[in-house]
Amino acid sequence: MSYAHITLPRLLLSLALIAVAIALSRRGRLGLERDLVWGALRGAAQLIAIGYVLLLLFNHEHPAWVVLLLAVMLGVAGATAARRVEHGPPRTVLFSRAIAAIGAGTLVAVVPVFAAVVPLHPWYEARYLVPISGMMLSNAMNVVALVFERIFASARSEADQVEALLALGATPRQALERQVRATLRAALLPTINGLLTVGLVALPGMMTGQIVSGTPPEQAVRYQIVILYQLVAVAAVAGMVAVGFARRLLFTGRAQLVLPRN
Amino acid sequence: MTSTLEARELVVVREDRRILDGASILVPPGEAVAIQGPSGSGKSTFARALATLLEPDAGAVLLGGLDAQRIAPTQFRTRVAFLAQQPAMFEGSVLRNLEAGPQVHGKSLSDVRASELIRAVGLDEPILQREARTLSGGEKQRVALARALANEPEVLLLDEPTAALDPDAGERIVALLRELRARGLSVVMVTHEESHARALGGTLYRCERGRLAIDS
Repeated sequence: MSYAHITLPRLLLSLALIAVAIALSRRGRLGLERDLVWGALRGAAQLIAIGYVLLLLFNHEHPAWVVLLLAVMLGVAGATAARRVEHGPPRTVLFSRAIAAIGAGTLVAVVPVFAAVVPLHPWYEARYLVPISGMMLSNAMNVVALVFERIFASARSEADQVEALLALGATPRQALERQVRATLRAALLPTINGLLTVGLVALPGMMTGQIVSGTPPEQAVRYQIVILYQLVAVAAVAGMVAVGFARRLLFTGRAQLVLPRN
Repeated sequence: MTSTLEARELVVVREDRRILDGASILVPPGEAVAIQGPSGSGKSTFARALATLLEPDAGAVLLGGLDAQRIAPTQFRTRVAFLAQQPAMFEGSVLRNLEAGPQVHGKSLSDVRASELIRAVGLDEPILQREARTLSGGEKQRVALARALANEPEVLLLDEPTAALDPDAGERIVALLRELRARGLSVVMVTHEESHARALGGTLYRCERGRLAIDS
């Protein structure tokens, strides 16, 4: 396989792209310069670090290390999804639930695929398990964050509607049905849009990476199709589980609406 | 058949403040009860606790002698209909609003019944097709009443039904409640308006500092 090597000086050259954004931010007085610099450095540092971690992992493939890395990724995803939910319960309450929702979504999408579509040898084959699980965790994280953000906000802004339904004898599930539907639609929309525009607007990162590094395009495409379908399953399951948790936090066992205090 | 609705020594504490401090009430079948008191006296909290929409820290609500804790909330709230001060209208027509109660119980509402209900609250049938959210305050109150009646409740529990209305519309709502009581429904109305409380007829309770006492 041959591919164009990116030397360090060339990599540094790509920093000019960030400079363009910084210049525009300055010109437009957007005040984003610090965020851009920090984001660029942090993003690069994280990727370089995971690059070395993966290198180590591939050279010393051991199930405990693979599982540990996946657990750390899940933890970070959970903490991110539970962060800054404006009208929701505190982070400490949401964290474990975010972990469960993200974990459930990822498991449903990952286990059957690695069992039947892309069989792993051994089962903890890091080359496949880590990057694909990472994509799933990341999508689940975004969906769960959206669900938490939206469901608590709409329960608060539409509390009178929810209570009016409860007063008519509705169950919590029935009373929150409209808000749940709107929340899940909003949370799943980016994934569905991704399905509709893939190949037309964007070539997915993983497929591009595979092609660039020498994988035959038709194989890269097949991987990408599997991943796209996994992303849909992840989003649906993680979203539903998160909604279930939110519902339990919003109602007492006696079907009373309790809005979390800010 | 209507049942007795009772609250025994309800206590609600929020942020170290006793909003209800042992509030009790007895609503015999088919009776009207008005609860009158200044704002902040705890009467709205009491109405919500009586409707089981709020869990009291102590005390009990009983329906037909049975502790509300032993009745499924969905069932209790079908038998005891609660109307908030400014009832929320659901998206869609008035008819869709009327259908909401039966729908959550897996039933449907016939056109004949919808017409009966809308006439029972003093509105005309053409309003059934109007968008509920565009109605006036008084019309919304009436639609909310009709919506509650679609569940065929035994008790109507209303929190300040006249507070957001002009005096005329308020008086018409009280007259309507009297009519409904005459048809056998128990009516509990929370209000800060002394004249409306008296106009309802029946027992008058005063609410002060989280406690209720019969006005003699």
